[in-house]
Amino acid sequence: MPTRTGRTAAAGVTPHLAERDIAGMLFTADMYGVQLDQLAGVLGVGEPRARAITAGWRRARYAESARIGPGPAWVWLTRPGLAACGLRFPATPPALSRLAHLRAVTSVRLALEATASYRAAGAFWRSERRLRARMGGRVGLPDHLPDAEIHWPDGAPVGWAGECWAVEAELTRKTLARTAAIMREILTRTGDYGCPAAQAREPGRPPRHARVLYLCSPAARPVVTRARAQVGALAERVEIRDLPPGAALPGGAR
Amino acid sequence: MIRRYLGLAVLLTGLRLLGRLILLLAGLAAVLAAAPVSMVAVAALVAAWLAGWPPARLYRAALWCLPMVAVWLAATAAAARSWPRVAAAPYLAWLAMWHQAAAGSVALAAVTIAPVAVPLGLVAGGLAWSRRIYAMQTGAGGLSLTAPVAFDRRQWRHQVRAARARIAAPGAVPLLSRRGAVVAGAVIRTVGHRSPALAALPYQRLRSHQVVIGTTGTGKTTLLLRLWAGFLARGLQRHAAGEGQRPLLVVLDCKGGADSRRVADRARRVLREAGARSTAIWPDEATLSLWALPPQQLTTTLVDMIEHGSGGAAYYTDVMEAVVALAVGAPAGPPASTAEFLARLDAGWLTAAYAAGRAGDAALLRSAAGHIGDIALRFRTLFRRLGGGLDGPGGFGDADVWYCILEGTSEIAVAEAQARALVDLLASFAAHGRGQDRDILLAVDEFSAVSRRLPIWQLYERARSLGLAVQVSAQSWPGLAAREDERYRIASTADGGIWLLRTPHPEPVTGLAGSRPVADTSRRLRRVPVWSRQGMSRMRLAPVADPALIRSLGVGQAAYIYRGGVTFVQVKRLIAAPAAVTGARAADRTPGAARPAAAMAGQPAGRGAGDGPARPPDAGPLLDEAFGGEHG
Repeated sequence: MPTRTGRTAAAGVTPHLAERDIAGMLFTADMYGVQLDQLAGVLGVGEPRARAITAGWRRARYAESARIGPGPAWVWLTRPGLAACGLRFPATPPALSRLAHLRAVTSVRLALEATASYRAAGAFWRSERRLRARMGGRVGLPDHLPDAEIHWPDGAPVGWAGECWAVEAELTRKTLARTAAIMREILTRTGDYGCPAAQAREPGRPPRHARVLYLCSPAARPVVTRARAQVGALAERVEIRDLPPGAALPGGAR
Repeated sequence: MIRRYLGLAVLLTGLRLLGRLILLLAGLAAVLAAAPVSMVAVAALVAAWLAGWPPARLYRAALWCLPMVAVWLAATAAAARSWPRVAAAPYLAWLAMWHQAAAGSVALAAVTIAPVAVPLGLVAGGLAWSRRIYAMQTGAGGLSLTAPVAFDRRQWRHQVRAARARIAAPGAVPLLSRRGAVVAGAVIRTVGHRSPALAALPYQRLRSHQVVIGTTGTGKTTLLLRLWAGFLARGLQRHAAGEGQRPLLVVLDCKGGADSRRVADRARRVLREAGARSTAIWPDEATLSLWALPPQQLTTTLVDMIEHGSGGAAYYTDVMEAVVALAVGAPAGPPASTAEFLARLDAGWLTAAYAAGRAGDAALLRSAAGHIGDIALRFRTLFRRLGGGLDGPGGFGDADVWYCILEGTSEIAVAEAQARALVDLLASFAAHGRGQDRDILLAVDEFSAVSRRLPIWQLYERARSLGLAVQVSAQSWPGLAAREDERYRIASTADGGIWLLRTPHPEPVTGLAGSRPVADTSRRLRRVPVWSRQGMSRMRLAPVADPALIRSLGVGQAAYIYRGGVTFVQVKRLIAAPAAVTGARAADRTPGAARPAAAMAGQPAGRGAGDGPARPPDAGPLLDEAFGGEHG
């Protein structure tokens, strides 16, 4: 916990952070920003306690929080907070237009992390923010970034150990052609994000993503299902599921 | 005079008000005097409102209190040894309750009066709730004109919430009830049916024809899996107890593609949990032999598998049938494989085969000789597209479940031919083979893909005598059959009931559920919100299954229409076993010559070199745990 003595990072004193604080801040940094109810789930505490913890972060100037959308307050890390986590992401508050999407992706991560297999395998969630950071100044290229990658370590006690999955949270309907094109793009990509363009799709190399996991809202699901039917044999590597409960912004705003 | 008249009017009004006040005070006094009963009644009323319970549930709860009352009276009798004291026990308990409450012992007071107050309060709450529902249903209650509509919507929401809570509770919805009925899920609401907490179907209902209609993403596959698992589990129980024959489930999934294969894998895992020893997935892992059909049936099936026209084309159909009959009925015996059959479609072979035969056959052969080459070409094309799935070995008797995947989306003509062949094989198995010793359920999913050339209503009508139940599912009413009369024929012979999930045009099916008399009350509005006491009621007929409600059903909700009533059900998803069986292992276990899917013509092409790695290991259990299963 940050100290309650008023000595803060800004004052040149590193506040004491517990393990739980570090995990929560890393999670928050990965996801751009997190709503308080979801952060409470990450920290394993109730919402009032999560509010108190984030108040500590705020006092240390590691985080900001505000009610920028429907439902509980959003928390995001400031530049000192990101620096404390060793992450070189641009320190910006979550974009208002992406709040619903960010919440959905966070709920997907929480649902997966709650499973026994995920914990047993020690899988790694590589967030879109990390992927985007790896793209560096090349953001703007036509590459589609998935909402996350999940890396399953070799030797993990699951049948898909060593695989890398792409995760896509779909809240709204895109066109069928666009959805199918994204599916193909993800499933045929061979290189990491940020690699030279020539390596992005190298013939003869195994694909980067063993499968893509689509988590859909009821509105988006039919298009995604139809898109899967259009991608031929690649469809075997497309998993479609519903977004977990609580993925929508409270009040249904999207 | 006027003054006297006005005085009288004022006096009458005053007396009326006074009377009402006295009544109100008397009512309040009664409520206060019977405070424990009033409190239980209010609590019961609120609980029933929140959970959308029918009043009968409160009455049943009151009945369940009777043992408590009996024990209490027995204890009183044993202590007092005087019948008058037992008769006066409720009154004495009431008096004691007030004294204890006045002394500050509220808990003791509650315990003292509970044997009397709880059942009476439940009955009072039930009566009040019943009265409220009646007033709303007849349109006689509520402050505003739309109050009954709002009340109904709110109650629906409450009932859905209660049903969802019930299916979410671990172990609350078993696959089979204690009496062996198949439990589909939690009851949301009933009209014309009893209103238990769980929707349970007797096994015999699944041994009758059923129809399932619902669009994509409404939970149709989840419902079907549950019904199939229930059929198998109960059938195996009965078989083990010597009460029935071993069940056999045959599923024709007419959608095809990767999605069907995913459902097949899930079905295999779910049905294994239900007791199925082996699930054969056709044609990917197991095969059937078309050539096992009796010769006459084989001729008919082969001819029907080829699409042919009417009018002038009927001539060629007759020629084809004659040639096929000759090839199948040759003196050497019926063909045993596709290759053998195709080899027989040759003028030279047939001439040699019938050289010593009857004169009529030779004459027929001579007149048809010019067409034999064309007929052979058509069959060669058909069997190339069909692949080897029907070329054996294997039969329906070799497994507990056959999951047959037909490529109805990409290859409609092939799927139609396959469906025709499979249904004929099954009918023959049921009529002549070991199927006579099996309870067979044929489930045809996405029937619209093959409905054009699979007159399933014919099977419906003769299936009963074969011991074969047919369950047809489609995305919509038009998907049930090509013609309206065939649709009605299928729906009206579904004596096991009709399942309706969300569908945009439920009217034809809801019409089959019939109508029921309801009271319509009109009231006169004096001024908002004061209603006059005058009004008029009349009886009218309303549909038993409300089409608007069915249009708005959520995912996993279904309306079960049976014998003029409807039960709305929140279907409980079956979670599959974690370990999926890999293709190679399944091939070892399942009957028929198992071959890789890619080796079968007519099936989706196998993965190309550039398409990526081999089929990834099944992560279904993880995803099911995190996000729930895939919807049908």
